[in-house]
Order: sequence, then C-alpha cells, then structure tokens
Amino acid sequence: MSEELKGKVQELIDTMINPAIAGHGGYVDLIDVQDNRVYLQMGGGCQGCGAADITLKSGIERLIKDELPEVIEVLDTTDHASGSNPYYTAGKA
Amino acid sequence: MDRLLLLLPTTTYRTEDFLAAARSLDVDLVCASERPNTLEAYLPANFLTLDFADPDGAAAVVADFSRTHPLRAVVGVDDLTSIAAAAIAERLGLTSSGTVAVKTARDKYQMRQCLAAAGLPIPRYRRIALKDDPFLAARGVAFPCVLKPLTLSASRGVIRANNFDQFMAAFRRIGALLARDDVSVSGDGADFLLAEAFVPGIEVALEGLLIGGTLHTLALFDKPDPLDGPFFEETLFVTPSRLPDNVQARIREVTAGACAALGLAEGPVHAELRVNAEGPWVLEIAPRSIGGLCSRTLRFGTGMTLEELILRHALGRPIASLDRERSAAGVMMIPIPRAGRLRAVRGEDDARAVAGIEDVAITAHREQELVPLPEGWQYLGFIFARGETPAAVEAALRDAHARLSFEIA
Repeated sequence: MSEELKGKVQELIDTMINPAIAGHGGYVDLIDVQDNRVYLQMGGGCQGCGAADITLKSGIERLIKDELPEVIEVLDTTDHASGSNPYYTAGKA
Repeated sequence: MDRLLLLLPTTTYRTEDFLAAARSLDVDLVCASERPNTLEAYLPANFLTLDFADPDGAAAVVADFSRTHPLRAVVGVDDLTSIAAAAIAERLGLTSSGTVAVKTARDKYQMRQCLAAAGLPIPRYRRIALKDDPFLAARGVAFPCVLKPLTLSASRGVIRANNFDQFMAAFRRIGALLARDDVSVSGDGADFLLAEAFVPGIEVALEGLLIGGTLHTLALFDKPDPLDGPFFEETLFVTPSRLPDNVQARIREVTAGACAALGLAEGPVHAELRVNAEGPWVLEIAPRSIGGLCSRTLRFGTGMTLEELILRHALGRPIASLDRERSAAGVMMIPIPRAGRLRAVRGEDDARAVAGIEDVAITAHREQELVPLPEGWQYLGFIFARGETPAAVEAALRDAHARLSFEIA
C-alpha cells in the first residue's frame, strides 16, 4: 500500500509540484511514506525560505491531499537552518 | 468551516507560528502575500496576492474573493500588513480596529499628535522634511534627541544625536536608508523623519489584546539591556516585569489611554514605553503582536500560544484564559555585531545545554549578507528561556548567548 501511495505522491511531485516551485529555484524530494504520512525534504530556494511553511502546508499538503485523500499529513524533514540560498529571508517588521 | 485570511509578508518571521495556530483551530486557511506563491495557480481558493501598500486595493480584491469564499476573519501578522488587514476587515464587517486608527498608529508623527492631544506622556517631537537643510532643522531641536523614520519597525533607522554634528550625520543616514530598495516606505514615510527628545530611563514592552475597546495586558516585558543609543538594538525581553506593582499599573493605565486616544479597539497591541522618575512615557503603540519569534516566550491558560489567542479573538471563538503561565520567560534577539557574510555558527549545543534554555533558533542562513543596525532589520536568531524568576531567565539567556560565536567575513 505504502509503495503504491509513494508512487502516486512521487508522480504528483514530478508533474505538478516541482515544476511549479522551480520558478523560485526550489524543489522537494520525497523521503518516505509511512502510515499514510508523507515525508518530504525541501531544497534549493525552498530550503530556509521564509515562505517555505506556507508552500508546504497550505500548498503542497493541500494539493497532495486533494489528489490522494488517503494521505493524513505531509511532514517537512528539511534542515532549513542549513539552507544557503533561500528565496525569501525573514526579517522583523 | 470558518475561513480565515492571514496576511503573511514573504519576509516575516511570523509565518510558522501563525500557520501552526491556524491548523490547531481547524479553519479553512487562505494565505495572502505581496508576491505570488508558486502554487497559487493550482490553489486559487487558498492563495491570494495582495499589495499591502495599497490597503484599499487589497480590500477590493478580497471583497471580490469573499463573494465566492466568505471570510470569517482577517489577521495581519505584522506592521507591513496591519493597515491592509484593517481595511479588509472594515470593508467586510469583520472584527478589527478601524482603518483610520491603525493608520494613525502606523505613522509615528500622527500617533504623537494624537497622544499629545489626549494629554498622554510622550517625548517632545518635531517632524522634519528630508528635503530640508539639516543644519537649519537642527537649530530647532534640543539635545540629546532621537531621530527616527516615521514608519519603520525594529529600531531600524533610530539614531541618537547629542549635538549638531551627530544630528546632521543621523539625518543624512536616515535619508539614505529610506532611499534603499529594500525599504518599503511611501508618502510621508518616505519624505519626513521624526526628531524627539531622548527620554532617559529603562524601557519596557507591553503585549496586549484589545477586546471591545478594553485593553487586556497579556505580558509586560522588561528590557534589561540599556537602550541609550547611539542605536537602539533590542536584545533581551524578560517577563514578568520586575518593576514595582504601582509602576506596572501606571504603565498599563497609560497604554490603555493611548489605545483609546488612537481609537484602537480590537486585536493585538504591542506598546513600547520608557520609564523614569516622572513615570512612563509612550514611545510606540503598534496595532500588531510582538515581532520576530519573541511570541514563543508566551503561553496562556493551559498552553495556548499568542497566535492562537489572536486568531481565536478574530474568529469570535472562546478564549479560556488570557492569563500568562506563572513561570518567568524571556527571549534574546541575537544582534548582528558587524556587517559581512555569515560563514559559520558555533556553540549551539553548548548554548542549548544551559539550564533554563528552551531553544536556540538561528534564523540567519549561511552566506547571508548581514546588515547591523541602524540600516539592518534582521537578527542572527533567537534564544528562549523559562525559569523560576526573571533574574534566572536573564542569566540563562546571557550565558547561552556568551557560548555562541558567529564567524562573519
């Protein structure tokens, strides 16, 4: 089941998600699917980006759950602190 | 399901905490930023692009959106979004302070005019046009004074001047700052600065929530590091305050009076005051919550975050308690010691090992170009502590900070 779901998630990433976030120099890698939870790692412009959380939880998670309702949640395993080229950098306003 | 619109600038520190709070409340979330999200085309019901510098335009876009996606609440997460959030709320009849009140509070000159008219204690002030001759402008100012932009936050561009030469240098430096591409100011904010008397004393910050025009104090923070200039870098915030009860009561009273004078009635308020033998002096009343990641020091009732509390208020949901937890808490905003590129950070594990330290969050990324105050607006990161007493929290924060080292080249 997990392998089949993993394949579907990977297809979504390849056909929809990565082509879109490539516009900001970003990408996501599928790390694993366990118990209907999807584990992703963000890279490029997404790693350490001030808007990464919006993209992941309000964007990627919603897209995946819309297409694959059996997915419970999408979890970010990224070490954002190590990102050296984030698209947006946070500051105090 | 309630639909909530969050106004999240792409550069805010506040995104993660507000999104976590929204998730915990099980709302249908719409995220609006000033630049399009890469996935907006796939999820037009969940992402909006709004020009926060054009509140009326933003309100028109959201009004159109809300015809098919009715909104229960709108919340702006920081200064850049507060006026747009108020304009949207006003247009849709949602809970918020009025746009005029928020606009007045966002302009330091207008705010001081309003507070002065209400007889509240504020420093003597003058607005000066940046096109004026600074030598002539300095002749009308008493020293020491503090020069500051009208609309920037986080002490950005705030400079003390003790004499004519320092005044002119500060005047030109602020003018150059406001002309930078990364500074978002317009109108009076781009054309004027404020010069006001330097008020000696200690500084405090009051975090509050306005409900139906009544100010509820959520926390009063001491700022144990002296803020005497020439720049005013905020570092330590520790709560509860160690000031005498009668002084704290007067701070709350003056802040409530300032909110009322401005017409602020709903939502979060972050106030900055100076306190000396004459009592509290209002420096800022900002219609937003505390900036950076500092809200992580605050927990209410059985563990509610400040962001959840703010969202509950906006959504009209019950709030079990506005009482902060009993333990002392504090944060250090790690200052940028000098300009350059961040090459490496050392000592994080040592800093985390200090008793009372809850977390060390380094928010600057490797190779980031660091800009110190007064031009900068970012921090290297944040250190969080909790303990039995404010003194223990302050000591833990200082100890942890001393264990960190930053390689900047």
